[in-house]
Formats: sequence, structure tokens, C-alpha cells
Amino acid sequence: MNRTSRHPLRRILLAAVALVALVGVFVVRLVDLQVVRAAELSEEAEGRRSTSVTVYGSRGDIVDRNGVVLADTVMRYDIAISPKNANAGPIARSRPDPSDPSKTVTVDVPLEQSAAELGAVIGLTGEQVQQIVADSLAENPESDFAYVAKLVDTETYERVKDLDIPWVVPWEHPSRYYPNGAVAGNLIGFVGTDGDALAGVELAADQCLAGHDGEYSYLHSLEDWVQIPGTEVVHEQARDGGTLKLTIDSDLQWMVQRIAEAQVQAVGADWATVTVMEAKTGRLLAVADVPTVDPNAPSATDADDRGSRAFTAPFEPGSTFKALTAASVIDAGAADPVSQIVAPYRYLPPNGADVNDSGYHGDEPLTLTGVLIESSNTGMSQFGERLSDQERYDDMLAFGLGQRTEVGFPGEEPGDLHGGPEAWDNQTKYTTMFGQGLTTTAVQIASVYQTLANGGVRMPVRLVEGCGDDTPAQSQGTRVISESAAQQTSAMLERVYLEGWLADEWEIPGYRVAAKTGTAQVPDGNGGYLSGYLVSVSGFAPADDPQFVVSVSIMNPVKMNSSAASAPVFQQVMSQVLKKYRTVPSGAPAPELPATW
Amino acid sequence: MTALPAQSIPAPRRDPAPRPERRLRPAPEPARRAKPRLAYAVIALGGVALIAAAQLLLSIAVAQGAYEIDAFQVQQAELAREQQKLTEDLDRVESPQYLARNAEALGMVPNADPVYLRLSDGAVLGVPTPATGGAVASAPLVPNALIDGVPLVTERPAEQTPIGGSSGEQPVAGTGATSIIPPPADGLPTPATH
Repeated sequence: MNRTSRHPLRRILLAAVALVALVGVFVVRLVDLQVVRAAELSEEAEGRRSTSVTVYGSRGDIVDRNGVVLADTVMRYDIAISPKNANAGPIARSRPDPSDPSKTVTVDVPLEQSAAELGAVIGLTGEQVQQIVADSLAENPESDFAYVAKLVDTETYERVKDLDIPWVVPWEHPSRYYPNGAVAGNLIGFVGTDGDALAGVELAADQCLAGHDGEYSYLHSLEDWVQIPGTEVVHEQARDGGTLKLTIDSDLQWMVQRIAEAQVQAVGADWATVTVMEAKTGRLLAVADVPTVDPNAPSATDADDRGSRAFTAPFEPGSTFKALTAASVIDAGAADPVSQIVAPYRYLPPNGADVNDSGYHGDEPLTLTGVLIESSNTGMSQFGERLSDQERYDDMLAFGLGQRTEVGFPGEEPGDLHGGPEAWDNQTKYTTMFGQGLTTTAVQIASVYQTLANGGVRMPVRLVEGCGDDTPAQSQGTRVISESAAQQTSAMLERVYLEGWLADEWEIPGYRVAAKTGTAQVPDGNGGYLSGYLVSVSGFAPADDPQFVVSVSIMNPVKMNSSAASAPVFQQVMSQVLKKYRTVPSGAPAPELPATW
Repeated sequence: MTALPAQSIPAPRRDPAPRPERRLRPAPEPARRAKPRLAYAVIALGGVALIAAAQLLLSIAVAQGAYEIDAFQVQQAELAREQQKLTEDLDRVESPQYLARNAEALGMVPNADPVYLRLSDGAVLGVPTPATGGAVASAPLVPNALIDGVPLVTERPAEQTPIGGSSGEQPVAGTGATSIIPPPADGLPTPATH
């Protein structure tokens, strides 16, 4: 008999210990798998069986007042490669057998050939593609990711897919598309390649436009990644951005940009802005800035020219500002359109200021109407000094100057009223009567003329109609001057249009128009003035029932340094606006007002 | 009375006389149960098999459906891409720059001098002036990077000329009053009726 049989208890004990040890091992392993590493492991299992997909919440469209799409979201593709796999060796590809077309043979395609094929599709040479492979492998021998092309269109994407190169992976990349190119490009702005809004209303209304990406995952089959029904889990719902509706009319905007650009080229100007506004509502119909950025290719335009100068470049408005001073004086009851003064060439007010007219003339007996027609600085000074500086300053603020408009355009400037009356020196007290020594933006000037055209009621300037279904209610506007003061000012501006030196240049047959030119000196930033001028025309039509305000500013037209450069633009734009909106021509002629006495 | 436990001690026989009635009797045998029929087993097992088979078939169908759905989703994605491509094309040829370039290529020029006919008294406002200046190349004035290289209507091969009558052919002036319709002053489109 052997030993164990002699001690049966010990045998049982041994077996029991072995059993317990074995069970212990299992328990430890079980706890390890089910408790200690449970989360990690189930995540890995989920990762192997399931795949998660990003659902892009598309950025909202930007449309014009008629629903024409100005900015659209499209899917673009980034083409990425795996340098490691590309370098791993030739890829196998099946081809029809030349000897027997019904069969296929597998041929090896070397990297040179596949790189050349890929390069031909995405616009690189085969060597360049191979260089990308070599560069990223030099940096990291295990490199598994490198871009060869970004933001290619659907056609290129499909051609890349047709190549069927295993080491090439296209990635979806939502992008922005501006079908109308530079039309309103200054206003729309653009987004960067990473989708961040960089300028214009894209930036200003980003909260409205931005979509929110969602994510869902599903279990898939091993080989062909087909979704197993009923396994879809939505982690986050995608949300599309809202549609932003502008007050801009894209056809008109195009025409206005075209007219402005042609004139800028003809007169050799630095830049120009043209603003068209609805007189009764303050809605902007067109805001042209030349040069204009094409948001499809923003880098083709100088960085300084990519915005909207109508909002961001304040200038000294010059004589177009005299309409505001005249309206203030009439509203205060200090004068009327036929009030008389004698306008000398040089006027030396008692406070020591020195005011000159632009060209020499003898003493002229002018009415307030005549002062505007002749655009006399000395005459305007004699009317303006009938009000206190504070009264004039308060009116400027009421007209919306010295503060940003309601549009809130990115980078918009408030303009500078040279501080305030207490900061004005003796000369500035007079120059602010005829639009020098203070700065305004083009849109602010358009808003001043809108107030005059709308019976003295200033409407908030609007560029955005609304976001999605959310359309803010139209404001009632604020009264700035009395209706009669606005009408008298309008009547005087009609005489300016009919009798001013540009009367033939800007004639629009059939309509009564009120307009005023300006030829303003441009500060050089060091207290002096540049040799060039900013020439402008602002006005509205039809004067008997004002509908549209047009304001033109052209900076430094070297070939024609006077407001004669801006008058044809005003005439063409206003004609186009009246024509486009089928405005009924005026009936009665403009009322007569004496210019001299 | 019921049967007493076996262990209980029998009562002493006091009266040897035969009992009038036996207290304990064998319980009546229950009727012999019929043997379970084979049919039931067949039905039960068959049902289980049927359910299993149905489930199998259903999951095969669902799996097959998954492939069909996948194929349709691929197709849908392709069609969506196609639609996007076409929409992009349409959007850019709808742009004012492209329309203007085509109009200019066909020899049209904008007229900046509108003339109005007032219906109330027949007055003509403005002087009718023929549009001058020839075809202005407006394309560089308002750029659009998207239409670079898109052929104009005049550059297309003849068979691609869109419907719209004699596009590209200028009507010969002075051949008869009825054949030439003067362009309306306000630019409303008028169908050319020859």
C-alpha cells in the first residue's frame, strides 16, 4: 500500500487546497475582469464592435431680402494619407485579364504610380505626394496621418475614391460657399478654413448661424461595417444653425458694386463706398465697398479691403454735413430757407476763427438755400453761430452721430465729434458747422439723410431682417427735428440738386431729387490735411415722397479731384434704384426758393 | 372517521361478535389515466422548433434588411452628393456676375438712362437714349472665384445652346417695324414673337 492510501484525509485535504487555489485564481481573474478593469474592457469591446459617427449641424444660410442665398454650407473633403502604409509596399489591384476579359488578374501598383494617380486628381505632382510621404516619415517613422489636400470639392472627392488607394482616406469637412462671389462680400464676411467666422455678419451673427454637431454610434458587422439594426445610440442630437436674412437686395447690391468699381477705376480712387437705404424704414438695401472681398477667396484681397469701410472707416464728411446744420438751425427757429446773409470769401468770427470758402469770390447776398447751393462755408458759419455749440452737438447726437449704428457691424466705428462742445477749440466750433473737424461713417451720413427724408424721424439702421423665424419688430423711430424743419431742408436740397454746379451730371429725368455734394479734406493723422479729397454725394428721391437714400463717398479720386467724380455714381445708383423698384415719377415740379436777394 | 395511523394500538376486542360494518376499506382505485398522446409532444416540440425557426428567419431577414438599408444609405449619400454638386453649379450660374457676363457676350449693354411713359397723360419723361459703350466687361468689376472657367453661353458647342430661340443671333435692324420690339424702358422682359 502506498503512502497516500494510508492517509486518505491528507489526500482529500490536498485536493481541497488545490481546488480552493484554483477557484481563488478564477475569482481573482473574475474580479479583475468584472470590477477592476470592467470599464476599460467594455469600452474596448464597444470600440471594436461599434463605431461613432459625427452628424454635422450645418451652419445657417445667409439670404438677402428676397431669399437669394448669399452664403451656403456645403460639404468639402480633406484628403489624408497614411504615410506608413503608403511606404509599406506596392498595393494590389485587380485588373481585367488582357488575354481573357472575363477574368481579372491582380497587379501590383508601386507607390510611384499610385502617388502620381493621386497627385493628378488633387493637383499635385507624383513627386510632391511622395515628398509628403517622405517628410512625414522622416518626422515620425510610424506616421499614420498626413494631409495632402484640404477642402476639395465633391467631384475631386469622388475621383479620389474611384482611385481606390487603400492608404488614402477622405474626411468630411463642412465648409462655406458664396454663390454670388463678391456680391455683398464686404457685408457677409467669411469664415476660416477651420469654420470660425472671421468677418462681417458671419461674425456678428455667429450665434444665430452656428450649428451644433451631433454624434451617434452603432454596432457594426466585422467585415463590411454594416450597421446592425436596432443598435444605434444617439449621444448628442445635431442642431442646424438659423437662416440669417439680410435687408440687402443682392441684385441691387451687384449693380451698385459694379457702378462703384467702374468709377473707382475710371478716376483712380483709393476706395469708394455707396450706401442705399430705405427712407421710411432705415433698412439698408445695398452697401457697396470698393475694393470688395470675394469671400470664396478672401486672401486675394488686401487685408485692409476685406471689411466694410462704410461702417469701419470714419471720415470728415465735409459739405454733405451742411444739410444737418441747416436742419438744426431751422428746427431751432433761428432761420428759414429764405433767411438772408452776406457770404464773403473770408469770414473772421469774433472768437478768432478763420473760415474760407473753397474758391475766391466777392461778397454774395445769399439766402440759406443759396448758401447750400453755393456750398458756402462762410455763409453756413453765419447761420450755424445762431445756435449754441451745445444745441448743435445735441442735434448731432440725435441724428445718430458719434455713436455706433444699431447694426453692430464687426469693427464698426462710432465716429468722433471731436470730443464735445467743451473740447472744441475756436476753429473747430466753426468747422463742425460744415463737416470738418469731426468724423462720421458713410452709414451714419446715410442715416442723417434718412432722417431728413423721413420727416425728421430717424429710423434705426438695419442690416439684418432677422434670424430664422425671429424677426424683431420694426421700431417706431425717434423724432430728431420737426416735420416742417425736415421738409424745408428737403426743399432746399432740391434746389441744390436743380441749381448746383453738378445739375447736369446727376439729373434723373422725371423725378424730384434732393441731394448735396461734399468735397472734404482728409486728415493726415498729424493735425494737417492730405492733398487728396474725399468726394461725396448724399441725397434722396423722390423728394415729394422720399423712398430711397443714396450716399456715395469716393476717397482721393486722383484723376478728378472734386465731387464731379461722385455725382455720376449717385445718378446711376439712384436711377437703378428707382427703376428697379418701379417708383412712380414725381408729379409737380420742385417748389421755387430764392438763392440770392 | 379516517384511517388511523398504523402504530396506533388496536382497541381491545371486547365484543367478539362480528362488527356490523368495517371501518376501514380500501380506497377506490382511481380510473386508470390514459397514456399521454404523442401528438401533444409533437405539437409542443414543433412549436418550439417553429418559434426557433421563425426567429432565425426573422433575424436573417433583419440582417438582410440591414444590408439593404446600408446599400440604400450608400446610394442616398451618393445622390445627396450629386444633388449638392448640381445645386452648387446652379447657384453659381445663377449669380449676377454670370448672368451679366452672358448678357454681355450676347451683345447686351445696360442702359443707364431710363425713360418713363406716364400713362395718365402720355407724357414721356426723359430723353430716349440708346445704350452706349458697347459690351462692358463687368466680370472683373465684381469678382466671383466660382465662375472662373465656366463657359459662357456663346462659348458652348452649338448643340448645347439652351432653348430660347435664336440665341446668339442678333436681330437685323431695320427689317420691319414688327420684327423689332424696342426694349421696354423699365427693363421688363418681353417674349420675342417672330
